[in-house]
Amino acid sequence: MTNAPALALRDIRKAFGGVQALDGATLVVERGSVHGLVGQNGAGKSTLIKILAGIHHADSGVIEVDGVRQTMLTPARCDQLGVHFIHQDRLLAPSLTVAEALLLGHEPRWSGTPFINRRRLEAQAQAAIRCAFDIALPPRALVRDLSNAEQQIVQITRALLHRPKILVFDEPTTALVRREADFLFATIRRLRADGLTVLYISHYLNEIRDLCDAVTVIRNGRDVARVDARATPTSQLVSLMIDRAVDQLFPARQAAFGAKGLEVDKLSLAGQFEDVSFGVCKGEILGVTGLVGSGAKALARALFGLERPTSGEIRVKGEAQRLNSPRDAVAAGVALVPEDRRRHGVALGLSVRENATLAALNRFRRFGLLAASREKAAVNGLISRLSIRTPDAETPVRALSGGNQQKVALAKWLIHGSQVIVLDEPTVGVDVGAKVEIYREIAALAAGGAAIVLVSSDLMEIQGLADRALVFFRGAVVADIARSELESDRLLTFVTTGHDSREPHAKAAE
Amino acid sequence: MPKPPNRPALATALRLGAYLAFAAILLVFALAAPGFLTLGNWLNVLQQSAILGLLAFGLTIVVIGGGGNVVTGGIDLSVAANLGLAAAVYASLVKHGYPDALAAAATLSAGLAVGALNAVAVTALGIVPLLATLAVAKIVSGLEFVLTQNSVVTATSPFLAWLSDNGPLAVPVMAYVLVLVTLIAWPAVQATPWGLRLQAVGAHREAARAAGLPVKTYVAGSYLVSGVFGALAGILSAAYLTGSSPGSADILLSVVVAALLGVVFSPRLTPSIGGAASAVLFIGLLNNGFQLVNISSYWVSGVEGALILFVVACTPSQREAMS
Amino acid sequence: MSAYARFGLPVALLALVVLFSLTSPTFLTAANLRSLALNHFAILALASLAMTLVVTSGGIDLSVGTAIDMAALAYIVILQQGGAPPLAILGALGGAALVGLFNAGLIGGLGLPPFLATLGTLFIGQSVQQLATNGGVPIYLISGAPRPIFAAVDAARLWLVAFAILGVAALLAASLFGRRLVAAGVGPAVAYYSGVPVRRDLGAVMILAALIAGVAGIVLSSSVRSYAPLSGNGYLMDAIGATFLGTTFSPWGRANVAGTLLGVLLLSVVKNGLLLIGVSFYWSQVAGGAVILSVLAVSFLNRREA
Repeated sequence: MTNAPALALRDIRKAFGGVQALDGATLVVERGSVHGLVGQNGAGKSTLIKILAGIHHADSGVIEVDGVRQTMLTPARCDQLGVHFIHQDRLLAPSLTVAEALLLGHEPRWSGTPFINRRRLEAQAQAAIRCAFDIALPPRALVRDLSNAEQQIVQITRALLHRPKILVFDEPTTALVRREADFLFATIRRLRADGLTVLYISHYLNEIRDLCDAVTVIRNGRDVARVDARATPTSQLVSLMIDRAVDQLFPARQAAFGAKGLEVDKLSLAGQFEDVSFGVCKGEILGVTGLVGSGAKALARALFGLERPTSGEIRVKGEAQRLNSPRDAVAAGVALVPEDRRRHGVALGLSVRENATLAALNRFRRFGLLAASREKAAVNGLISRLSIRTPDAETPVRALSGGNQQKVALAKWLIHGSQVIVLDEPTVGVDVGAKVEIYREIAALAAGGAAIVLVSSDLMEIQGLADRALVFFRGAVVADIARSELESDRLLTFVTTGHDSREPHAKAAE
Repeated sequence: MPKPPNRPALATALRLGAYLAFAAILLVFALAAPGFLTLGNWLNVLQQSAILGLLAFGLTIVVIGGGGNVVTGGIDLSVAANLGLAAAVYASLVKHGYPDALAAAATLSAGLAVGALNAVAVTALGIVPLLATLAVAKIVSGLEFVLTQNSVVTATSPFLAWLSDNGPLAVPVMAYVLVLVTLIAWPAVQATPWGLRLQAVGAHREAARAAGLPVKTYVAGSYLVSGVFGALAGILSAAYLTGSSPGSADILLSVVVAALLGVVFSPRLTPSIGGAASAVLFIGLLNNGFQLVNISSYWVSGVEGALILFVVACTPSQREAMS
Repeated sequence: MSAYARFGLPVALLALVVLFSLTSPTFLTAANLRSLALNHFAILALASLAMTLVVTSGGIDLSVGTAIDMAALAYIVILQQGGAPPLAILGALGGAALVGLFNAGLIGGLGLPPFLATLGTLFIGQSVQQLATNGGVPIYLISGAPRPIFAAVDAARLWLVAFAILGVAALLAASLFGRRLVAAGVGPAVAYYSGVPVRRDLGAVMILAALIAGVAGIVLSSSVRSYAPLSGNGYLMDAIGATFLGTTFSPWGRANVAGTLLGVLLLSVVKNGLLLIGVSFYWSQVAGGAVILSVLAVSFLNRREA
């Protein structure tokens, strides 16, 4: 019993609809260790963690906590077992003070009265934070006025107050600056020294190396390796994460480019990215990638008028454009297939037809009214062109699978006829069959003369589709690589460290 | 540790601005109307604000538990109808000779029942509070009309007479009531675990759930509390008007204004009892000042409307919540 | 929503009609039906059509009664001062348009949430009316020389309503603006991300709704030959009720003209029928509220299961 691992998930299988998210994944975390979990987006990491948290239930497989087999995990049960999660969403009430948020549900009272003993509340809060982090946070500060790092400190301290045995950190450093991240690592090391077990999920591979004892790599729903973190070079981790079977998914492409469809000149957005310049020719697919917070997403938003750049210029077909809103962008001929499909891409309560024509209603105008027959014809045409699986054009989009919903989101811009298309994570949550069809369409769009910006954290996608790849790292472009130079490990190294795997300097850092 | 962003400065500025405006208006009235600054006048204002105050506290508690956004979060639009019904119940019972104690018990039960209906509609049936409480308001005001046949029900009783009279130190009893209720409600909401958890439920439902709080219970409870406050206000109203009279629905809008304005007067820019109390006082003094300076009371609702718009335009939390 | 659930509203309406026909000898008479149509139905229908437009776009209009009243005020005052009927009508529409423009500025321009914005408008409108009439004194034009315009509007009442019904239905079903409104109501973020001028449309719909309410104001004041301040507000709750009742009729749960009309009919029939069988006017208010609450409960329960 005493030698049993703190956590063991063995041979977990889980399918959503037709998609096999986990296909026999095993994760074993030794007691008192810091264990890293890495894998690309869509590899199955978050599904595995949600199963551990009791939010999803595995189709098959065994879960053991401290050697004891668990049959029905729920969030409450996890609490009882001493498994606590530090989620990416802070889950703190913004208008409460630090002390209140920490001790919510366990507020100290003046004995014999129903009133909170504020002095003890604040003293306890200060003591807890000092004990956990050895710093002083003003206990009366409001949660909403804290920085991301400070909120995380409150979050972690609150979890520690419950005397957890296992702490799971889910992408904890995405919103932190260097100094704050170092602070967090010091804390985690101290927790380990105190006997806590830590599961650490992150995309930042060098952090994994610095912090963890062991690492499990997840790929395609399965664990493919469990290695010693310190003894394994980053490049090896990288190659474990990449799936080599790239070729079948992507259509063949010829590089026949026209004039510049989109040019970006010294573009900066305060706090997000700085001094970005590039051009995309008609017929070219430019891949843009980077970790969360690296600036890649912010660039997509700026190109569509969702953020106003602080300096620099955007030119569409040679003409400088002031894009202050999506309306401006659409008028200039720029389209965006957004990352959050359900909130921004398609309206779930509208039909396929209503969604597909939303950006181009003016095309179907006849005497000031909507020409229903023309509209239907156009939509049906797109349904067949994109192979959208739907009973008919009147079906609410809510009823379609993720892949088909995404096709509708794409169809909207095809009907509009945009010539500059920005795609943000176009195949997240999309099954393989639909992925192939979407890739085919993207390639066809490029062949038809559109300039395409493909923002994606799926490096396979970038490699398979893009003619060039732009890599962002902490707000700057660190690489602009042509397809021929694009090996996957080089790309991933750029993404996770900001350096070239080819450069000798990067090797020395390992 | 990196410095936190400058939000607290903005919040303090807004609150400071609100209090400055309050003071400025007081100054204007003090200069323009003799007798504005007398103790007797202010006691008068307290007395006249008691009913609005009780209703505003009830609504504030619902809003605290439901999240500050008026439309998708918690709101209780049945408070005015509840007031009318309660006054009608009390007045009718007393008129028919029943003792005060019975009448009070019946009134409080009626208020509790209205609160329960709201609670069920919102938490069990899942109807959006805006619509649920509107429908309940219609039912309750119908019941009030049934009881009173849309006519005035005059009623007097020793208790009612005492309520509408002056108490010790020549201070009106209702002024005492308002102050007393404030002194009870304020710490109850700001200084007890119940109050804190209610705030957490309203501020971030997911976080409250993650902290193990029974969210639905708190929300349901807030409607019950509002119902009771409505009943209490109804008793005061019966005393003030020596009976019940139709047309209590007009006060609804003032109650909503008070709750909204209360946000701006609150230390955390979230709904609070203290803020509501300040807002109620503000509205009471505004009305009173208008009377003394001989400005037609018809300007009042317009000014209140402008105040709502001003507060909403200035509090980003309300606007962000809608996007 | 199950395919059958949407027929709850028309079935309930039918059941009530049957009930009242059986329990009251005068319910199904031509005279009563005409009174039902002209008095209960017409004005509420117009107010509810205005509300339907706003609710479709995702908002709510608490100032629809204010628009009715401002229109009535302008109308009666102009006639009282000897103005020609066409001027009075223009004035009425202008008064309503003012309310609509104010709302448009708050909601479309400043981006304030519709509930609070129209609440503010309601308050301010209240003040304006009280000041204009010195405390709520109605303006009567009953005595004196009969004015043909009143009779004309009375006669044209149902035509006006029919016109409004067709207009709003066509707008929502077949116009670009209507499509954009529906999108703004169902998925405002998606509409924004598709280049739809959401704020501009939200402002425009407030003006349109106010104009329709203005027509209601003309009809109302013509039929009672007077202007009674704040009387328009009496239609507010029922307009909201009818519109949301009507959403149960749509398979998508959207506000729609047919459903709203059914809702208006339901509320009118309840009020009229209860009156005829001798139930006091006040119980009918309770009944109306209970009906709305029940339909809402079914609608929201259904939505949660979906």
